[in-house]
Amino acid sequence: MSEPPRLLDDSESATEKALLHAGRSYRSGRETRAKTLAALGIASSTAVVAASGSAAASSSFAKLTGAKLLVAVSAVGAVSLAPLAYHSFHKAEKDRATAAVLSARLPAVEPAGPVAKAPPPVAPPATTKAGPPVAARPAVRAAEPVSLAQELAALDAARATMARGDAQGALLLLDGYARTCPQGRLRLEAELLRIDALARSGQTEAARRRAETFLRHHPGSVLAARARSFTEPRGGRDD
Amino acid sequence: MPRLFLVDSSPSQQAPPGDEAGRDAVDEPIDIPPDQQAPSSRDAGRDDRLRGLVDGYIDFVARVLRNAGTPQADIDDEVQRTFIIAARRLDDVRVGSEKSFLLQTALNVAAHARRTIARRREVASENAPEAFDARATPEQLTDQKRVRHLLDRILDQMGSDLRTVFVLYEFEEMNMSEIAEVLCIPSGTVASRLRRARVEFRARVGMIEGLSKAERDQ
Repeated sequence: MSEPPRLLDDSESATEKALLHAGRSYRSGRETRAKTLAALGIASSTAVVAASGSAAASSSFAKLTGAKLLVAVSAVGAVSLAPLAYHSFHKAEKDRATAAVLSARLPAVEPAGPVAKAPPPVAPPATTKAGPPVAARPAVRAAEPVSLAQELAALDAARATMARGDAQGALLLLDGYARTCPQGRLRLEAELLRIDALARSGQTEAARRRAETFLRHHPGSVLAARARSFTEPRGGRDD
Repeated sequence: MPRLFLVDSSPSQQAPPGDEAGRDAVDEPIDIPPDQQAPSSRDAGRDDRLRGLVDGYIDFVARVLRNAGTPQADIDDEVQRTFIIAARRLDDVRVGSEKSFLLQTALNVAAHARRTIARRREVASENAPEAFDARATPEQLTDQKRVRHLLDRILDQMGSDLRTVFVLYEFEEMNMSEIAEVLCIPSGTVASRLRRARVEFRARVGMIEGLSKAERDQ
């Protein structure tokens, strides 16, 4: 079959060329990629950084590694950005040390039991119990906006911790994420992670309630099916 | 016919992309088994393959979705939806046929998105963006948003059959055999649809250029 030349190669109309070029040159954004990776549960800051060559936020994140990140953390507030520093090490021992620091600074994770009153879907964590109440602390805000790559790194750290079987450690990291990024672009993905971590730590009732709240607020989300799997009665899930 | 996209012919592979059964599947909850969601219980090879799909094809998927009629505001969700479906069916997708699978799934997802838009439009009153389009001068068309908006309007006025062939041929630069195979239609039908789509496209562009020129001459 003879193939006609593509219109873009054949056209002499500037308008036509502009239109065809617009159709051909469309690209996804960094945020789309990050959300997709997070939704698939394979978020990886390195993948995002490597894949988004032109991304300013990514490049700034790439520069903000190791010691520099720690400096940034201390400047902004160790607790608020701990998950980000946490992820930058990528070593179990240092993860554990950071988690210990977090544990010392944050209230203990509630071992079990329901979350009092259904929390907002992506509200700050309901997993921590009164102790020195979180609300009583001065709200720690990042001095600079947290980049998408940093958000992704925080979720990555929580997911990696959970993958090692430390669901409560993951909850602590998610607490940090919720305080640092209350309006984070990946907050829905973070909420799903929290629900999963609650379920894995034995707080199945709390997980179910949060999942129901999630579904009430985001019934059309692409993550709704995952949330729904946590609303099933015990035995309906594999874990 | 050369098989440039190796579509798995097994029944499980045939369901999602393109056809009505697959389209319906988009409406159903996407139930990823919990053991497939958490890294702890997923093997690294699967993660690597999924990440490879995202890294390799996310622009392709987003472009197909967008040009097939998905509004910009919904792109994030629909890209995620496409890859979530791919993740669910990953074991059914043969190595080498990933692009074809994603394309068919994206077309399917886009068709679903278009139906949703159509329902919304039944409720909302019609606005009149034609006036905006007609007044666009070539200079204004250098503005990317305006160009994109104008392209959306032109594509929206094509029938979905013509639009799909036009998008795959002109934007994805697939050849007619590939398009015929992905859409499961004869090559002659592809050629016919492409011809008609081009006539429609050029007629609308010509009309816009004519109106713009008339306005400038006034």
